[in-house]
Amino acid sequence: MKETYGVSLPGMGLYDLVGKLIVIEGTDGVGRSTQIRLLKEWLEQQGHAVLDTGLSRSGLVGKSIKRAKEGHTLGRITLSLFYATDFADRLENEIVPALRAGFVVLTDRYTYSLIARAMVRGLDPAWIRNIHRFALKPDAVFYLRIGVDELIPRAVFSRGFDYWESGIDLYSTEDMYESFRRYQSALIEQFDKLAEEFHFEVIDARADPQAIFEHLSQAIERLLVAGPKPAQPAAPVVEAAPPGLAVVPDPIPIAERSERAVERREKA
Amino acid sequence: MKRYGEHRIPGRLFVVEGIDGSGKSTQLTLLHQWLKAEGFGVVFSEWNSSPLVKDTTKRGKKKQLLTPATFSLIHATDFADRTERNIIPLLKAGAVVLCDRYIYTAFARDVSRGMDPEWTRELYAFAVKPTIAFYYRVPLEIAMKRISDARAGFKFYEAGMDLGLSDDPDESFRLFQGRILDQYEKMIPEFGLTVIDATQPIEAQQQQMRQLVLAKLTQARQLRVAP
Repeated sequence: MKETYGVSLPGMGLYDLVGKLIVIEGTDGVGRSTQIRLLKEWLEQQGHAVLDTGLSRSGLVGKSIKRAKEGHTLGRITLSLFYATDFADRLENEIVPALRAGFVVLTDRYTYSLIARAMVRGLDPAWIRNIHRFALKPDAVFYLRIGVDELIPRAVFSRGFDYWESGIDLYSTEDMYESFRRYQSALIEQFDKLAEEFHFEVIDARADPQAIFEHLSQAIERLLVAGPKPAQPAAPVVEAAPPGLAVVPDPIPIAERSERAVERREKA
Repeated sequence: MKRYGEHRIPGRLFVVEGIDGSGKSTQLTLLHQWLKAEGFGVVFSEWNSSPLVKDTTKRGKKKQLLTPATFSLIHATDFADRTERNIIPLLKAGAVVLCDRYIYTAFARDVSRGMDPEWTRELYAFAVKPTIAFYYRVPLEIAMKRISDARAGFKFYEAGMDLGLSDDPDESFRLFQGRILDQYEKMIPEFGLTVIDATQPIEAQQQQMRQLVLAKLTQARQLRVAP
């Protein structure tokens, strides 16, 4: 049975989430999307249904976040909460329905990236961790780790220094190089701490992409062989309500909710 | 990040809370007029009004895309934007800021929708603690009567229709607002809300409100003069 980091959302049953939730984490430019593309193809060839998802892709707020970031006008707290809204929307409308349907969910970054960004921006650690307590604990988290010295050439020779990836909102400098270096170093430091706290499997992202893929696919294969877990007994499982609260009925039946998610994706 | 109760800023923040039909907005409008006439630098900040977030909230509500979790988070995002860009800078400048609804509205609504009470409170830990938070207490029947006299029909989320309490909007509104009233009652001691009996005549309520506000403003003037 899957569990969250301490807070369960109303109407989100956790007992029949038979799929696997696999997270690829890491700072900018470490090759996460390449790996996800390779893994998705490989998993589908193996006969597994795959949902791939990532930050800021929710139907509800994804576009608004992008628009707001273009204006560079979001405060630190506001940005963190905007991301949390996006995350909650995808968790409820994409990730959980897919896990219930037995999919392998590959996610490009997860709640840890959002915690790391907030920490680098000096927000209260207890505050940001509390917000993300409704996140599902993944079956595996792979952290593609790279040092800032290896990261810089990758940024220079691919996309250049992006405004947000350089944390220009944080430092009062015009120097994009200096800012990128400082910001990414601070992020890596936070990720290293989170890796211990949340037991990530750390992978050296300097290696050849094919070698990384082989490492990841072997680890995922072991995970999938261990499952699928036998279906839970049909007895109704009552989610514990927060103390002192009446049990609130499920606002939207789960089946209907996933239909809506599908509709939304089709529209998008 | 400064937490609730940790901000030390010269302005004064007065907020009104209560269910729809409690008359809180009327009272705040009257207070606003009076403070302006008295020559105070006073600014009004509305719930759900951040230009960045408002459109998303509106769309989410219109298309009924919001779950209790995203309803809670999108309102917190809106409130954060107003806090960071509006409320805190104004208070730093020494203004009197008036809010129609504040974090207690979010606590009442979110918890009534089944969100974890502790989680919801910590979500808003960045909020500035108001100088006074007025709670306009009114029995549900009186509030319902006032609303039905004033307008026709309830909106989907306002009536808590997302919770499936009843198919009838009036009945759903009654049940949902009843839950919200229970939450407000719990918050009176928890947050030290100042209770105003909202069944009194409007003038009597306003007089009481002005006295309480004035006491805080005189104090503030003296604070500024004293070493």
